Amino acid sequence: MRNPLAPTVFLLRNTSKTLPLIGVIVLAVMLIGGIVAIMDSIPLSIRTTYGYSKAYLGVSPRGNMAMTPILRHIVKTESPVPLGRVMTCRVSDCEVKSIVGPWRFAVIGLSQDDMSYYLDRLGGCTITGRLPLPGKAEALLSEPVARNLGKKLGDVFLGPTDSNNYSPNEVRVVGIAHMKPWVALAPIEYLEKYHFPPIDLLIVTAKDIRQQDKLDHWAYERLGGEMARTYTYFRLEIETADMFKILYTILNVVIALLVVVITLMMAMLMNIYQSQRLQEFGLLQALGYARKRLMRRVLSETALVVAGGWILGVVSAFLLMTVVKVLLMDPRAFMLDPFDRQAYLYSVPVPIAIFLAATWTIALRFRRFDPVGVVERRLV
Amino acid sequence: MIEVRNASLVYDDHGRQVFACHDLTLELKDGEFLGILGPSGSGKSSLLYLMCGLKTPTSGEVAYRGRTLSSMSEDERAELRLRQFGFVFQYPYLLGYLSALENVLVGTPTNGEAKKSGISSPWTNGWATEPAARELLTGLGLGDKLHRMPFELSGGEKQRVCIARALLGGREVVFADEPTANLDHVNGVAVVETLVANRGSGSLVMVTHDPTMLEKADRVVTISDGRLAASL
Ligand SMILES: Nc1ncnc2c1ncn2[C@@H]1O[C@H](COP(=O)(O)OP(=O)(O)OP(=O)(O)O)[C@@H](O)[C@H]1O
Ligand SMILES: [Mg+2]
Repeated sequence: MRNPLAPTVFLLRNTSKTLPLIGVIVLAVMLIGGIVAIMDSIPLSIRTTYGYSKAYLGVSPRGNMAMTPILRHIVKTESPVPLGRVMTCRVSDCEVKSIVGPWRFAVIGLSQDDMSYYLDRLGGCTITGRLPLPGKAEALLSEPVARNLGKKLGDVFLGPTDSNNYSPNEVRVVGIAHMKPWVALAPIEYLEKYHFPPIDLLIVTAKDIRQQDKLDHWAYERLGGEMARTYTYFRLEIETADMFKILYTILNVVIALLVVVITLMMAMLMNIYQSQRLQEFGLLQALGYARKRLMRRVLSETALVVAGGWILGVVSAFLLMTVVKVLLMDPRAFMLDPFDRQAYLYSVPVPIAIFLAATWTIALRFRRFDPVGVVERRLV
Repeated sequence: MIEVRNASLVYDDHGRQVFACHDLTLELKDGEFLGILGPSGSGKSSLLYLMCGLKTPTSGEVAYRGRTLSSMSEDERAELRLRQFGFVFQYPYLLGYLSALENVLVGTPTNGEAKKSGISSPWTNGWATEPAARELLTGLGLGDKLHRMPFELSGGEKQRVCIARALLGGREVVFADEPTANLDHVNGVAVVETLVANRGSGSLVMVTHDPTMLEKADRVVTISDGRLAASL
């Protein structure tokens, strides 16, 4: 037979008290985890959507389009690391969807040979359909972009009637690249002929992709400023972090308030439950259970409730996020990470604060507690 | 075994001193059935709480086997109550979420606990007192109600569960504070008899205002206004 005073015995036989407490914690954890995961999904989307920039350095001249050959020369002669390719490209844009509205996305014009290199550089892929033919009004999309835009092979990607995805001719999807990075490619000859601005840009790769970051930093210092604008992954990270700094500060405040509110509520609830148990505590103390022991017992009960609630909450939050991801986010290639550690970390203060609040109310209650008052029935 | 020496218990009633016990001196002997008689408010309960260490005397002292209770730590006093003392209160307090049998077991330390605090225990592992508890309850006529919850028991049955809780494990002293007050006379007498018959070699201290309950007592002290009036 198990010890009748084991914490689990009380909890399991008083489910009408235990379950509401666990329920509140579960909901709180789901709420906080959900909010944080949704918030996190925005920078995650930025990193994913524009993640292609990890593979190379982009350089565009500033002010004077005749600068491009000079920039190319500087890169070739001064690069601190051995280079892979220095490709000339043209860029137009299209619109992709995100949970916070439309974002502009680069349609990169390359020669067919550079296209293959470009796709390899981004990790390689198999292609359904084929690469766009030189000069033709054709495009290749990677699978997430196609999913995001709802495009299949043969669909019109850019066209004269679509002001957000404009091209004077109907540009059709002729290839879908099965890869994680977001990519939209078109023949450079087509963009040169039909799209503004008539500026050649450079795509520069380090020979060893592990040295790309070094090249990027160098280019940012050497070429940035008046001469050119550089597009690098490390700047994307910095700018994203900057952009979300204020938002995250607000998030922290909101969640802190939420934790306080939930903790106060829970402390009140637990205080009521404990006052309903004064008779039990008084009796046990009279029978010979020292205050410390009773406190330890109540605290283990609380710890079980709080830890159980948190774990259940994390599991529920994970399940909910997975459902949301599969049903709502994935079909449009929106980002949501059910494994977002930060989301769950943000919910850790909930059980801790509740446990501390409970400890405090229990300590107060036991500090001046006279079992004689209870067994004499002056206190019930 | 328990010596009360010139013990007073003073309550502060809005600045006025109330002597619940006034300079009491009394000794409880091994195996003795001591009755404490007196009218309501005379200080009977207070004396009981002094003897078992639930209250500390304002002056004077109470000693258990030569050790002053007030010199023990709170934990030691608690351990003493759990291990050596049994209690039956006027109201049959049981934990509502535990069965009759479990309520009885609550009154004793587990073997592990006993070991940790250096008390020698004849029990084997865990709640090995369970067979003893079953036997005790069966002896009290509750053999078929071991697993009933308190709300499924009558007042007298609850009080018998409390008695089993107080007796389990063989206590040195059982303190009973008006254990019959809530019962009719027949049931009351039955409860006293059960206590007397089952206490084994332990002492029994019983507080009551009904002298007929103390017919089996070895000694009866009468208390009024916190003072010992007579010892019969
Ligand atoms: N907490 C307290 N504060 C103030 N006075 C108290 C307190 N507890 C008891 N008293 C007083 O002490 C005196 C003795 O109380 P006690 O409970 O010992 O009486 P009793 O003989 O057990 O009475 P009864 O038969 O009614 O239980 C009473 O006058 C009571 O009012
Ligand atoms: Mg009394």
